[in-house]
Amino acid sequence: MLTGLDRAAVTESVKRVVIAESRLSLQPSDIADHEPLSGEMLRVNSLGFVGMLVLLEDELDIVLPDDLFVGRSFHTVQDLIEVVLAGAEVSR
Amino acid sequence: MSAAEPPTRWRSVLPHLTEPLPPDHTPQAAAGGNGVQVNLPMELVRQSVQRKEFWDIPAEVVDAYRAFRPTPLWRARGFERAVGARVPVYVKYEGGNISGSHKLNTALAQAYYYARAGVKELVSGTGAGQWGTALAAACAMFGMKCTIFMVGTSLRRKPYRGTLMRTLGATVHASPSGLTEVARQADAGVNSLSLAIGEAVEYAARTDGAAFCIGSGETYSILHQSVIGLEAAGQLAALDAEFDAVVGCVGAGSNFGGIALPFFAAAAEAGTEPPLLVAAESSTTPKLTRGTYAYDRTDATGTGPMEAMYTIGSSYPIPDSHSAGLRFHGAAKVISAMRHRDEIAATAVGQVEALDAGRIFTRGEMVLPAPESGHALAAAARLAGAGAEGNSAKGNSEVLRAEKGVVVCVSGHGYLDLGAYQQLMDGELSDEAPDPGALRLAMGDLDRVERLAEVGAGAGHVR
Repeated sequence: MLTGLDRAAVTESVKRVVIAESRLSLQPSDIADHEPLSGEMLRVNSLGFVGMLVLLEDELDIVLPDDLFVGRSFHTVQDLIEVVLAGAEVSR
Repeated sequence: MSAAEPPTRWRSVLPHLTEPLPPDHTPQAAAGGNGVQVNLPMELVRQSVQRKEFWDIPAEVVDAYRAFRPTPLWRARGFERAVGARVPVYVKYEGGNISGSHKLNTALAQAYYYARAGVKELVSGTGAGQWGTALAAACAMFGMKCTIFMVGTSLRRKPYRGTLMRTLGATVHASPSGLTEVARQADAGVNSLSLAIGEAVEYAARTDGAAFCIGSGETYSILHQSVIGLEAAGQLAALDAEFDAVVGCVGAGSNFGGIALPFFAAAAEAGTEPPLLVAAESSTTPKLTRGTYAYDRTDATGTGPMEAMYTIGSSYPIPDSHSAGLRFHGAAKVISAMRHRDEIAATAVGQVEALDAGRIFTRGEMVLPAPESGHALAAAARLAGAGAEGNSAKGNSEVLRAEKGVVVCVSGHGYLDLGAYQQLMDGELSDEAPDPGALRLAMGDLDRVERLAEVGAGAGHVR
C-alpha cells in the first residue's frame, strides 16, 4: 500500500501511463509536470483518462474513489499526480 | 444462487479471450487544450478493462433485480410446432419488467454506480426507446434526473414510449432536436441513433451534475447482462435440457452478449466446446455479416474513443425500419473481437421475417415479442428447423444448424410495437438491404484492424 512519502513513485507512474496513452516513445523524465494532458505533446481524452486511473490503481495498489473525480476537469500532468495522491490518501 | 433468486455475481468473458481487445484510439476531435473530465464511475472502468471473471453485484442492485428476476425460461413447444423444429427451442424471456426489455439489467447497475459517484442526472440516446425507458426507470429508482434523446422517427412511430419514459420522470427530446450543435450540423442522412447518442453526449457535457451513459455496446453493459445467461444455464440444467446453439439479437451486442457469453466462459473454464453462439442482426445494419473490422466512431460527435468494431461505417445512412434497437452501425468491441476469431457466428434477418417469427411466436407461446427479438426468433427457427440454410456464417459459406437444441433470448415485449405487427398483417412491410456501393463508401476510409492487440496490452483502451 502506498505511503504518504511516495510522491516520486506516483509522479513516475503517472508520467509512464500518460506516455503510453499518448503512444509516445519517451521517458518519464522527458515530461514536465505542467505539461497539458491534451495538448501538443500528450493526447489524453476523457475515456482514456479513466482507463489510466485503473492502471494506476493496479500499479500503485490503491483504490481511487469515484467522488474524487466526478465534475472536475484535469488539465496537466500535475493535476493527475495530485488527484492520485489524494485518492491514495483516501484509500489508506 | 437458488432457483428463486437472481445471480449475485456477474461473469466476465474477458479472462477467456485468447487475445486482449485492441486498444481504443483517441479521436482527433478529442484533442485540444480544454482539459479532460471524468464522468464514468471507476467501477465501470474496472469492469471494462480488468480480466477478472466474477464481479459481486451490489446489494442494492440485487434487490432491484428481485423485482423481476429470475426471468422465465421455458421450452417453446408451440413455436417448435409452428416452425417445424427438428430440435427443442428454449426461450429466455426478458420482457417482463417495467421497461419491457433486458436493458434494465444494466440500467440499474449504471444508475447505482453513477449515483454513488455523485452524479445527479443521467443523459442518453435511445433508438427504439427500450434503453431510454430502462434508464428512466433506473434513475427513478435511484433518485436521479434523466434526460433522453430518442430517434425522432421512432418516437413518432411509438409515442407511448415517450409517455412511459415521462411517466417514470424522464425528460424526452425527439432527435434531431434544436438543443445541440451536433444536431444543427448533422447532414440530413446521418445515422439516426448515432446522432441521438451524440446529442446526449453534448448535452451531458455542458450540464452541471450530469453524465452521459450508454446501454449496449460497452463492455460493462455486456457484463451486467450476464445475469441472463447465468440464470439460463441454471434453468436449463434444472430441465436436463440438451442444446448446442444459443441465439440473441444484436444491435450493439448487449442482449446477445448477455445470453451467449456466459456459456462461452463456462465452456472455456471447463475446457469443453462451447455451443454455437449465433448473433442475429438486422439485414438493414449487417455489420457482422457484411461489415469490416475497423476503427470507427461510436457517436456522431466523434469525441468518444475510436473503437475496434465490426462496422458498416458510422457515416452510413441506415434505412428506417421497425427494429430501431438494432439500427446501430457497429458491434461492441468484445463481440467484434470474438467474431473476428470465429468464436461467434452471425446471421442477418430482414424485418418481415423477424416480425413474422414474432407473430408465430405470439400465437404459439402467448407472448408478444419486440421486433428486435423477432430477429433472434427467426434465426432460432432456421437453426432448429428444416430451413437452416437461411442461417449462414461469413459469406454464406457455412450453414448454421442445431443438432440438439436451441436457446434463444427474447429480449423484450412488443406491446409498444403493435403498429409494426399491424403493418406486417396488412402487407405493408418490406426489407431494404444496404446498397453495396453505399456500404463501400461508408467503410472506405476506415482504419482497418490488422490484428488484435499484443498479448499483455490490457483488455481495454489503455496499454
